[in-house]
Amino acid sequence: METTQLIYAVTGALIIGLGLSAALRDEPLLARIIAINIAGVGVFLLFVAIAYRGFGQTADPIPHALVLTGIVVAVAASGLAIAINRRLHHDSPSGDGPAEDSSA
Amino acid sequence: MSWMLIDLTLCISLLILAVAALYARGLQQRVVFFIAFGLLCAIAWARLNAPDLALAEAAIGAGLTGALLLSALNDETDPQPPLTQPRLGRLLTTAITALLTLALCAAVVTLFPLHEGIAIQQLQQQMPHAGVVHPVTAVLLNFRAWDTLLELAVLLCAALTVLNLAPARPVTAHDSPLTGMLTRILLPLLTVTAGYLLWTGAHAPGGAFQAGAVLAAATVVLRLNNNPGFTHLRVGALRALLALGLLLFLGVGLLQTVLGGAFLQYPPSTAGFLILLIEAGAMLSIACMLSLVYLGGHLHPHWPCHAPSNGVDTWKRHS
Amino acid sequence: MSDLLIALATLPLWASLGCLLWPRLADLLSPLVALALVGCSLLLLDAIAATPVILHHLGGWGGDLGISLRADALSALLLALGTVVTLAATLFARRYFTDDQVRYRFWPLWWLLNGAINALLLSADLFNLYVTLELLGLSAAALCTLGKDKPQALRAALRYLLLGLIGSLLYLTGVALVYAEYGTLAIPSLAQQIQASPASLTALLLLSSGLLIKCALLPLHIWLPAAHSSAPAPVSAVLSALVVKVTFYLLLRLWFELFTAVITPAFATLIGTMGATAVIWGSWRALMSTRLKLMAAYSTVSQMGYLFLFVPILLALPDHDSRALAFGALVLFALNHGIAKAALFLAIGIIQQRLGHDQVDRINGVARQLPVTLFAVALAGSALVGLPPSGAFLAKWTLISASLVTAQWWWLLVAVIGTLLAAAYLVRVLGAAFAPAEPPPPTGKQLLSGELPALLLAAMATLGLGLGAAPIWSLLAPTGLGNIL
Repeated sequence: METTQLIYAVTGALIIGLGLSAALRDEPLLARIIAINIAGVGVFLLFVAIAYRGFGQTADPIPHALVLTGIVVAVAASGLAIAINRRLHHDSPSGDGPAEDSSA
Repeated sequence: MSWMLIDLTLCISLLILAVAALYARGLQQRVVFFIAFGLLCAIAWARLNAPDLALAEAAIGAGLTGALLLSALNDETDPQPPLTQPRLGRLLTTAITALLTLALCAAVVTLFPLHEGIAIQQLQQQMPHAGVVHPVTAVLLNFRAWDTLLELAVLLCAALTVLNLAPARPVTAHDSPLTGMLTRILLPLLTVTAGYLLWTGAHAPGGAFQAGAVLAAATVVLRLNNNPGFTHLRVGALRALLALGLLLFLGVGLLQTVLGGAFLQYPPSTAGFLILLIEAGAMLSIACMLSLVYLGGHLHPHWPCHAPSNGVDTWKRHS
Repeated sequence: MSDLLIALATLPLWASLGCLLWPRLADLLSPLVALALVGCSLLLLDAIAATPVILHHLGGWGGDLGISLRADALSALLLALGTVVTLAATLFARRYFTDDQVRYRFWPLWWLLNGAINALLLSADLFNLYVTLELLGLSAAALCTLGKDKPQALRAALRYLLLGLIGSLLYLTGVALVYAEYGTLAIPSLAQQIQASPASLTALLLLSSGLLIKCALLPLHIWLPAAHSSAPAPVSAVLSALVVKVTFYLLLRLWFELFTAVITPAFATLIGTMGATAVIWGSWRALMSTRLKLMAAYSTVSQMGYLFLFVPILLALPDHDSRALAFGALVLFALNHGIAKAALFLAIGIIQQRLGHDQVDRINGVARQLPVTLFAVALAGSALVGLPPSGAFLAKWTLISASLVTAQWWWLLVAVIGTLLAAAYLVRVLGAAFAPAEPPPPTGKQLLSGELPALLLAAMATLGLGLGAAPIWSLLAPTGLGNIL
């Protein structure tokens, strides 16, 4: 049981790292949303691995409930980001370049 | 031993798919790999005795988010040119992420074996008073109902913004990939499945969120069949549908407060019924919000409110 | 008494639904709700003076299984700040959004944001805090999209949203580690359990870095100036005054209540150094910025930096009394900045509406058109700089003497340079505004009631907080973080 937990938990941790490093790169918005979602799934995998109690045993339901909440929040956030991006493209279809941060 | 082999294969495939979804050349490929990644993850969670999550990940995580990303792909006619980030900054963020990941992996290794936590012990004691038999539903709708209530608020926030931002343009008609016949079969099937998932959530995997996602899938089918979806709904009805889930939740939550109990406390005798009531309202709102998030670009002509007939049509002017 | 907690946590959500269902009543409903919330938070302060900690177990479960609402002096003071700023900004927003359809869109999101702030301040559960953080981030980004200059506002909102999501993910990873190690998410129970261990240390790093992104501590501040300066004025006010502040509040709870056994002086020094850089860099950028709103946004970066300067000092202070003194100063500084910055953003909003722009070098003579507003800018500015009798003066004084007591004189240097730079950008703006120039023809009548919220807030920061600061210390004394340190 512990080996199983460990395998999945470490995989989750690696996926978090992969997703985060991709999310922080400069990419089109859609790629960054994918990256954030993948990192999120990594966190969920970590939670599920922690909840696992061995073959045939009922798992800890608390992390499961947390992950369910997390999944719904993630889809809401992705939808919001895509809606903003869509409006941005609609308003300036020429794609007039990235956000000019006045701090840059 | 054989299970370990399966676990290792599953995990390595997950990592490979994650890399593919993050680094494949075209955006379209990445989206496809992302959906595959989500589905494989659902299998992994089924393997880890998390059927609720497998269901939710397949329906919402991979399914709906995937559909969302695919629909956004159509929108992205000309991708934004990449930002130019200073080299040093890029190096720094990569180094920090790598360090954090390393620390995380090391910490994860030290975690096991876990000892039985306090929360789970208390859960086992209190389960008989939860009003439902299925522990995940008990946690979501009873023990940690405040989380779920705020989560509905998060969904509401996203749905409102999607409606606010929808560009002012008519719903574009495109070729329907689904025949009317198929739709007529799919729609009732999806509706019945949603109802079943809602009902069964009390004692088995399922519940408002999975049911809402399935119901949202019905709207997606309608949309694919060129049905204009929400545009035919009266705007007041749309607002009511959006508010319903949160309104019921808050209302039921206050019920006991008036009688001197805690907020979100249910009387033990009716807890099961109240939870089902909340879930039914939540399912409708969730379905409405998720499908709005998916439909995204297609606006309701009178959102958020009918303009006064004698005044200027400010909605048009604003958009 | 727990009714107050329920009211503070749920009333904004009811208001959001009400404004969604009956858009035309929203203009009437919102000020009433804002007023009721101020009343609740004042009653809560009163109750806290008698009972230091008020708990409410949601669902009647409590313990480690359920979620609890919890209020103590720190959260009650910040709730009071939040409700007061929200009331002023609500009154302001009624006049600010002249387009009905935009206002109808604004109110439900506005109350969701307010609900997130209150829920965050009251939550005593690590995962519930994650949900409130997400609601906070999403509703804040949603409100930013209502900004007038569409493409720029949308880009800023998008960047704000994405960085916020990354921050929440880091936070959630930390929560997973904490749950695995200690088997509970309830903060009161965790506060007694957390020990130094590899998992605890990593959790601390993850939780802190996630929240530091949301707090915009240099060098994680890149999203803030764009988002805060392109949002509508009442939204900017709340973003700068409250949203970054409540994440800082959460960091305080983590560092000084939960992870006391894990946090090291080296970690605190690192945080303090980042804060010091933020103070100087933020003030410098504020001095250099060409737009009023951008100046105010950079000033937020620098003022947040001051709050982090307190961290290494608090950790190094030797005895309980001096720590309590410094902690009170920290809270006073946060309250002062919240009120003054909200006043500043509202006042700038009026200037922008009157002139049609907020370019610093084109506001010559605006003082003659908007004397009340410019008076508010001067008052708020002096509170931000820390002139007596403002609260910031007292707080900075305490900070400086504490840095001498702990032999960390370099923080003193930072505070002095930051103050001089802040005075410079204030003088620059006021100098331009009061410059004798031919005033452009007035473009519309500015009602005094539109200028009043900013003025009252500014007066509250300069006079109210400065002269009436003593109760803050006595309120914080029984439960202040100083006790737990």
